[in-house]
Amino acid sequence: MDRRKSSPEEISSSEAFTVNLLCGFGLALSFWISNTVYSVNLVTDPSLTLFLISIIELPIVILLYSRYRHNPQQSSYLRAVARGILGLPAGALLNSLGAIALGAPVTFQFLPKTVYWSLMMSLFTTVPASCVLGSSWADWKRIFAQTKPNGSIEYLICLHAHGAVIGGWFGAWPMPLDWERPWQEWPISVSYGTLAGYLVALVASLGFVLAHRRRLLHVKNE
Amino acid sequence: MSSSCSISCTKLTLFTITAITIQFIGLYLFVFAFFPVKPLLSGYSGSESFQRPNCNGDGHANRNETSLPPDRLRFLYQEVSKMPPSYDRLILMVIDGLPAEFVLGKNGKPPNKGFMEAMPYTQSLLANGMGVGYHAIAAAPTVTMPRLKAMVSGAIGGFLDVASNFNSQAYSDDNLIAQFFKIGWKMVMHGDDTWLKLFPGFFARHDGVSSFFVKDTVQVDHNVSRHLGDELSRDDWNFLILHYLGLDHVGHIGGRNSALMASKLSEMDEVVKTIHTNILQNLENDQGKTLLVVVSDHGMTENGNHGGSSYEETDSLALFIGPKNHASDHALSNHDTIFQVDIAPTLALLFGVPIPKNNIGVLISQMVDPLADEQKLRALQLNSWQLFRLLQAQLPELSCTNFPCDSFITNSGPTISECKGNKEKLFCCLYLNATTLHDAWRDEVGTKSNNAEGYNTTVAAYHEFLSRASEWLSHKATDRPISLLAFGVAALITSCLILLKLLFVIHKEVPAQEIQGVENYMRPWKLDEVFILFGILILVISMGSSSMIEEEHYIWHFLTSTINLLFFRKAIQSFNLNKAVDDLISVAKENCTSGYQISLLFLILFCGRILKGWHQGGVNWTNLPDISTWFEQAGSQYINWIKIASCVMIIMLGIFALFLLQSKTKVVTVIGFSLLLSGLLVLQHFLKHQDMSASYNKDATLSIQVFYAIIGITTVIAVLVLPWVMPIKTREKCSKWNLYMSTSVPTEIQDTPIFLLKDSLYVMGCMFITSWCLLQLLLQRPINAMPLLLLNVQILAYMLVFSSSGSHHKKWVEITALYNLGMTGHFALGNSNTLATIDVAGAFIGISSHSTFLSGVLMFIITYASPMLFFFSLVMYISMKVTICPLVTGGGNSGEILKSLLGFPCLVPLSINSILLSANTIVLVLMRNHLFIWSVFSPKYLYVCAATACVYIGVFIVVTTVIYTYIVLFWLRKSFSIASKEKGT
Repeated sequence: MDRRKSSPEEISSSEAFTVNLLCGFGLALSFWISNTVYSVNLVTDPSLTLFLISIIELPIVILLYSRYRHNPQQSSYLRAVARGILGLPAGALLNSLGAIALGAPVTFQFLPKTVYWSLMMSLFTTVPASCVLGSSWADWKRIFAQTKPNGSIEYLICLHAHGAVIGGWFGAWPMPLDWERPWQEWPISVSYGTLAGYLVALVASLGFVLAHRRRLLHVKNE
Repeated sequence: MSSSCSISCTKLTLFTITAITIQFIGLYLFVFAFFPVKPLLSGYSGSESFQRPNCNGDGHANRNETSLPPDRLRFLYQEVSKMPPSYDRLILMVIDGLPAEFVLGKNGKPPNKGFMEAMPYTQSLLANGMGVGYHAIAAAPTVTMPRLKAMVSGAIGGFLDVASNFNSQAYSDDNLIAQFFKIGWKMVMHGDDTWLKLFPGFFARHDGVSSFFVKDTVQVDHNVSRHLGDELSRDDWNFLILHYLGLDHVGHIGGRNSALMASKLSEMDEVVKTIHTNILQNLENDQGKTLLVVVSDHGMTENGNHGGSSYEETDSLALFIGPKNHASDHALSNHDTIFQVDIAPTLALLFGVPIPKNNIGVLISQMVDPLADEQKLRALQLNSWQLFRLLQAQLPELSCTNFPCDSFITNSGPTISECKGNKEKLFCCLYLNATTLHDAWRDEVGTKSNNAEGYNTTVAAYHEFLSRASEWLSHKATDRPISLLAFGVAALITSCLILLKLLFVIHKEVPAQEIQGVENYMRPWKLDEVFILFGILILVISMGSSSMIEEEHYIWHFLTSTINLLFFRKAIQSFNLNKAVDDLISVAKENCTSGYQISLLFLILFCGRILKGWHQGGVNWTNLPDISTWFEQAGSQYINWIKIASCVMIIMLGIFALFLLQSKTKVVTVIGFSLLLSGLLVLQHFLKHQDMSASYNKDATLSIQVFYAIIGITTVIAVLVLPWVMPIKTREKCSKWNLYMSTSVPTEIQDTPIFLLKDSLYVMGCMFITSWCLLQLLLQRPINAMPLLLLNVQILAYMLVFSSSGSHHKKWVEITALYNLGMTGHFALGNSNTLATIDVAGAFIGISSHSTFLSGVLMFIITYASPMLFFFSLVMYISMKVTICPLVTGGGNSGEILKSLLGFPCLVPLSINSILLSANTIVLVLMRNHLFIWSVFSPKYLYVCAATACVYIGVFIVVTTVIYTYIVLFWLRKSFSIASKEKGT
């Protein structure tokens, strides 16, 4: 069943490369803008920087991933975009709940930072998935709960999301230490961890896609 | 079970017991090898301390000195010391727990305005130079007895002194009190009876008050002050000690900013004023000069505890108030920092007695300023001689054969050499420099008068030697017997390996038993299992970092909530939203259980987050806002309401959990009733004694004792009787309960003792958990009532999650998750890895007479509330996991049944604890020269040792409960029923 469904959405390695490149480019652009235009960075003004990252990544991610939606015949491109936009606040809510469960501060002082951080997380995790998968619970469960991606685009979604989450998880470790550095505050080190994990996932997902394509070709040839 | 790899129950038990024994022996050896009683010089300093240390073993020449009558000895000392005593009488006023910051301020800033105004007289004395105040840094552990010893002997005791703080014995090393006693001083002591325990028979008059009733802040000081007028009017004493405990008690109850603090300070100020006025009067009447020394033994943290080595705790006060102006000029700063041990040599020199042998302190030079130059140098010289003798004892190589230590006589004037090399050479050289300069200065004084330059360089040289020697002596890592250490570590590692091997063995044979649970999840390692192992690895690694130890609660909370999130993820895996699935009924059922699991896990996460926010534990971030301080600021009536509400909720939860066991028989009703009764007792106590902290009273103590008796008796009786009276019922009625309380039970299985075992253990578990929570409600600080409730909720929710049929976790994963929950709860109740957070006040609740043992037990119960709760919940957990499988497959072999019941619940906590214990031991050995070894790593190690004890006790309780129930149900009851049947027929 899955094989039949996924085959039309197979994307080539070069397309996957472009997607990853654009996502990475978006990140670089947002850092460049925050550095040169606003002359801030994650440490000096985490809220603004996270906001810039989110606002720049948002169109890139939604517009890119909506092209690879499941069942393109039934759901239009615009619908996928709308789904992605809807997925943003929902994913942000989920991510912030997860972060709070793990110990993120809940005082009002940290509220904007938490909001912008979870928007960024949402862009890395749920927004691409909601563009591509829509409201198919089975697909969501397969990718996020069981980690069984099927097809190149699902590999991208799954790996990016897991990379960002695991990176953020590791990024939280220096926070309780007594080094008294400004970057130990919530959510700075977590954001660094997230970005690092995401970048690693960008590279790693390419490898997975290549391996997947090769296997697919191999199967076809036989 | 045809198994070559399986292990029989007897073998398993034997191996486990062996491992525990090895662990215990290893721990015992290691602790006593690593925390040695520092090698101290025995005996007392005599007149030889006024002579230059010579080379041949520093003769104990004057044997006949000991037989001298006190008066003769005093004259002898005056003669040989060449320093007349500066004062005639000494008043030592100890204010327990007073941070120097309250009087002297911090970092050059004056103290808090309220405190300034509370002590007008003392502040005026400081301002006009009549008094000189110092921040006297106390060494860890900052508890009263070791600090008193340090003040009178100038020596720093071993770390294990903390343990004997509640069991103080006579002090036999050289100290000031003994020295004063030898020269015939008459001494009087009023206050903390620790002094009387340390120095029995030394005081001519005394009135000891017990530091036992921590909740009393008024009477304890009144008992001291009531003697003051009488004592001051007498002139028959030379040394008066006043030890006020009230301020420490105020701190323990309300913290630094307690409302009672300012009034307590002004009470102390009044005492200072009375004494000082008397001193001035005496001086006018030519009745001798009296020195008043106001000291505190230690400081206190923000919430009034002490024991650790933070600045707040070690910042104790040393305030010298004399009859005359101390300051030659008024530019006197009161922010100088000295060490607490410096008090002893200073007092010894001021009063003309030998410096105690083991003193490592240095003379406070400002105190001898009024003396002539020659006498000042003499004081420094005496101090140096004493330290040099101590160095000689500690460094056997510092002998005269290698270095000509006394070949100072050179005709070519003072030869100052650059000092370097190993420590023996260094100390020898520094000492020589000082003595050479001193001799040269003395020669010059003979010829021409007033050589200021020579004097200054001599003083500098002495100070150089004194400070270097003192520093080295205080930091000296004492030699530890390497072989014992190595043996201890090896034993700990061996036992750890044995336990892990056992765990591995029984883990391998489990799938053979529970094939039906494995289904399609046959992947060898699942995410949660990998994560748990990874989490233990992280814990072990983080034990090597001092700041991670300080902030350990973050690690536990992070790991526990991540495990919960992973369980969450797993629960979602079996949650379906698709409607188009053929097997509708099974899907609906599966959805139901996983939805149920998801909501329970959500509840656990929610409670966990509140628990995390309740106490901002640790060391570095204690100033961040947390819920407990928020409530404390809001007012005590809210805390009282929360306490009462939590109590009601805990009772309700307990009874609810009891009646989940749908067989509502009489027995269960009786148990429920007894729980309700003890719950109501606690509630009644809360309502009656709302202001527990204000004072202790007999009535409250009595009602608490009644509660102790009732809860103890009901629990023991319930455990003993329950297996006998649990009614045998047919299983049909329980089918509803089976829906989520047990794994799938084939209905055709007839009623067997195994079901009775399940029910009995469930009821016992319920009883244990609820009784324990009620007991904790009574003992813990009122603010901890809510966290207790949340912990209870979490444990019960976990039980429901693990019992539901949809859970595919392995047993060891679930037990580890519970263990983690217990440890997270330990920190959520406000505990940390410093000794300061131990709740001393709670350890005396409901005890009417002093008993070291009982208060120790209570302290343990309070501190390890949450880990013990975990062990009690294991009884319930075992009941959840009772299956009939071993009966079916193993043919009812009781060894197999017991192994399947107890194997994991005992081995998992033992193994985790042994891993952490071994890791901490190795870390302690590696860090033995670390700066924080005494302040961070050693307290942590004490906690780990206590946690080990907790694991032993907990496992013991679980094992005895289960085995007892098993024996009664499977053997005794059967034989009894057969016997009665025979009688009937």
